[in-house]
Amino acid sequence: MTDKPGPLVQGTLDMMVLKTLALEPMHGFGIGLRIEQISRGVFRVNPGSLFPAIRRLERAGWIKGEWRPTENNRRAKYYALTARGRKRLNAETAEWGRQTAALARILEGT
Amino acid sequence: MNLFRNFAAGLRALARKARTGREMDEELGAYLEAAAREKERSGMSREEALRAARVEAGSLEAVKEEIRTAGWEAAAESFWQDLRYGWRGLRKNPGFTTVAVLTLALGIGANTAIFSLTYAVILKSLPVPNPGELVRYTFRESGVSDLSLSGPAYDALRKHETVDRDILAWGLADLAVQENGALTRARGALMTGNGFRVLELRPTLGRAFGDSDDVSGGGPNGYQALVGYEYWHEHFHEDTSVVGRSLNINGRAVTIIGVLPAGFEGLIAGQRTDIVLPLSFEEVTNAPNPQRHAAGNFWLTVMGRLEPGESVATAQANLKATNAVVREEADPNHQFLRGFFAPFQIGVESGRSGRSFLKVVYSRPLLILEILVGLLLLLCSANTALLVLARMSGRFREFAVRSALGAARGRLLRQGLTEVGLLAAAGLAGGIWLGWAAAQTVVAMLAGVGESPSLDVTPRVAILAFAAATTFLSALATGLWPALRASRVDPALDLKQGEALSSSKQLGTWIVPAQVAVSVTLLVAASLLGGTFLHLMLERSGFRTQGVVMADVDLSAAKLTGKERVQDVQQIVEALEKTPGVEAATVLSAPPIHNGWSAGHYFSLGRHGEVHTDMQTWPESVSPGYFRAMGTQILEGRALSRADQNGSAVCVLSASAAAYFFPNQDALGRFVYSGGSDSSKDGSDLDPKNACRVVGVAEDARFLSLRETAPRMIYSLAEGDDWGTFFDLAVRSSSTELGADALRHALHEVVPSAVPPTVFTFNELVEAHLQQERMLMMLSLCFAGIALLLTALGLYGVLARGVTLRTREIGVRLALGARQQDMFALVIRQGIRLVLIGGGVGLGVSLAATRLLHTLLFGVNATDPWMLLGIVVVLLLVAFPACYIPARRATRVDPMVALRYE
Repeated sequence: MTDKPGPLVQGTLDMMVLKTLALEPMHGFGIGLRIEQISRGVFRVNPGSLFPAIRRLERAGWIKGEWRPTENNRRAKYYALTARGRKRLNAETAEWGRQTAALARILEGT
Repeated sequence: MNLFRNFAAGLRALARKARTGREMDEELGAYLEAAAREKERSGMSREEALRAARVEAGSLEAVKEEIRTAGWEAAAESFWQDLRYGWRGLRKNPGFTTVAVLTLALGIGANTAIFSLTYAVILKSLPVPNPGELVRYTFRESGVSDLSLSGPAYDALRKHETVDRDILAWGLADLAVQENGALTRARGALMTGNGFRVLELRPTLGRAFGDSDDVSGGGPNGYQALVGYEYWHEHFHEDTSVVGRSLNINGRAVTIIGVLPAGFEGLIAGQRTDIVLPLSFEEVTNAPNPQRHAAGNFWLTVMGRLEPGESVATAQANLKATNAVVREEADPNHQFLRGFFAPFQIGVESGRSGRSFLKVVYSRPLLILEILVGLLLLLCSANTALLVLARMSGRFREFAVRSALGAARGRLLRQGLTEVGLLAAAGLAGGIWLGWAAAQTVVAMLAGVGESPSLDVTPRVAILAFAAATTFLSALATGLWPALRASRVDPALDLKQGEALSSSKQLGTWIVPAQVAVSVTLLVAASLLGGTFLHLMLERSGFRTQGVVMADVDLSAAKLTGKERVQDVQQIVEALEKTPGVEAATVLSAPPIHNGWSAGHYFSLGRHGEVHTDMQTWPESVSPGYFRAMGTQILEGRALSRADQNGSAVCVLSASAAAYFFPNQDALGRFVYSGGSDSSKDGSDLDPKNACRVVGVAEDARFLSLRETAPRMIYSLAEGDDWGTFFDLAVRSSSTELGADALRHALHEVVPSAVPPTVFTFNELVEAHLQQERMLMMLSLCFAGIALLLTALGLYGVLARGVTLRTREIGVRLALGARQQDMFALVIRQGIRLVLIGGGVGLGVSLAATRLLHTLLFGVNATDPWMLLGIVVVLLLVAFPACYIPARRATRVDPMVALRYE
């Protein structure tokens, strides 16, 4: 584990956002923070890539945004997983598992 | 589904742009707030926390931009911006816009026009199901002439084709239709009873005829016919009750049983069919000499369909085996398929577009035209590119500013291309319109005697697609280079300098010579094609066409016996000769230079018993007035006279025939013998019955075609029933109107029941004969003219721009003592050098390329030094004003003003 956050594996950000939202609806900063915490600082997501990803997922109909007051009386947009999003997450997780297992076998095999 | 959702969301974002922007601001604000709060929690002061959060998030504007450009709608929006910006720019520059759009429209229009013609003549399929399966049987000699088949050849083919293929025969026939008491002509087609089945052609109305209708007399209910859609529209006003009606055609009652579908014009391209009858009706149209079983009349277009899995090549291979059998059966007496026709073979080729004489005649001219318009388009694109570049280089400072303000290179490039795209779109619209109008004009130019070929050149999908593709290519050629150049501006350099000095000068040094080269190529093509036309028009043809009127006469409806007809013809000619104003009149079997062709077997005996035989002598039966009427000069001896009718047979030979039969001897008073169709009859058989005494020698006349050397002719007086019911009359008179009236009048007087004749002047015939050359000349001249104009414009633009850019340099030189004429010469030299480089390349290319034209040329030589000199002169004449004006400007530069400038 290095000091600097590592670059994200291509295409995994979408999956991480979906996974994060699977627990509970969250706003933009919350998502970024949760990813950083869970990954123990390996992944740090800046808003320049986080929000486009959120927009993309919203477009695809996998998450849904809703304005809600925050704990300090401001408005924030909270995102929640839709049914389609949950299906998508399960599919992607399964696929990811298959791929990493395969990758691990290759790496161990040589 | 996903795509649609994406699209809808994009549209929503576009529609509620302001709100989306506000929400984004608010969301980002909330993000920062949350981030700061998180940092405060770890012990920072509020201010520090806020600043740290900002630093971590980076530029909020950049983030917003990132989010904005994530969806497709951002691209659409920037495109829309480019479009509006480009539109405003073009509107502010009406001169530039007009010239650019016109140039593009010219190039695209010319290409669209020629492609419309190519499509109509070559690419269009017959409007029947699966036209790709159709095959046509040909009778030709190694790819040259393509004849139709005789009736017996069709029968033999139908019997012997190894594949179980049903084949149809289609022949043309002129019909005389009785309509409201008057006789009118109609273009008829005769088709075998299986035709509709083979073509899978379904009438729009009524029913088709079948095998049972294709018998002598037309079956139990008489002859049945279908009318063409156009004919139905014109003559019956689309009345559906036409089915079942009886029509009097060539004196026979014929029942109309149906109407052909719209768009079906027959199996022969350009020859619209009015009425389709069973082939057996031929016994009526050619009465009393039916040709259905004549082995020597090649008049049937024969077509069939490929079996599944069969290709044209395999069909051709299968046919090879039966060729000999078919020939044997088609001509058991070996009368016709020997001699001249010996090398002809029956073959198969694709029948997708039916039979097209136009295709045979115009394939090469159209190919040439396609190349010429392609070059023209290249030139138009080059010119527009020069214009666009000039405009862009005037805006380098603007680009530099925009680039300095952070505009991405791609965005600048896109913007430049959008502007060109706008120009191209306007050019496309203009080009399609122009192309359509031009194509119609050309079709009108193809007008023959009587009527223009029915060629449909209305824009259709294929043509529009072609025009769009052409435009796309030319826009790319026009816009990409300047746009690339503009997008590469260096803010540091271009802001200071404002102008890109080097690039536009460099560009001129290769675009202008390229333009000149293309122009020269077009000029060479135009002068060769124009020279060909002039040669054909002006060279002595053996006819004097001025003042000659002819008439196609059809006596079939008059039902005369052969003897009556001979008397009537004589009477008509005599009546014509008596008409005041008529100088001479004659009868002839068919008009000259009208694709007619005849050949006979003749021989002569030399002084020492040597035999001169010829199978290719053209016999023509004429009246005594023939030579005066046609303007063919008698070189030796005398013309035929009325008195010759009663004595022994006499004839006049053409000069080449006299030289052939009596080499180095005097032909007058000698005898030429007709060998009939028996080629073995030679010399030994000096039957006086077949002999004719030569009384005169006439100059050679190009009877077959103005492009071909004159055939050997033997003229004799028309006696007996030489022509059947179809023949021609010709008169020479003081005016063609008078001649035409005299012809109509005389025919009506002598044979009141005859169909009104088709009357035309000899000049019209020549025009129709030379329509291909005329069209090529006009179009190539037109293209060359446009090319020269564009080249001059391009040259002017480059030189003028050069002078503007070098104003300071010129000022310095003048201040240092250079004379004004030096500056003048400087610019002129530059211009002439560009022209000469291009001219040299152009001449080289065109000399190499004229081989393509070779078969279309007559009497001209691509390496004719006078023609080449003329081209150089024309080029310099056109280039001169283009050089002169900028050169004058260079002399007027005031050193004081120029040096103070900037």
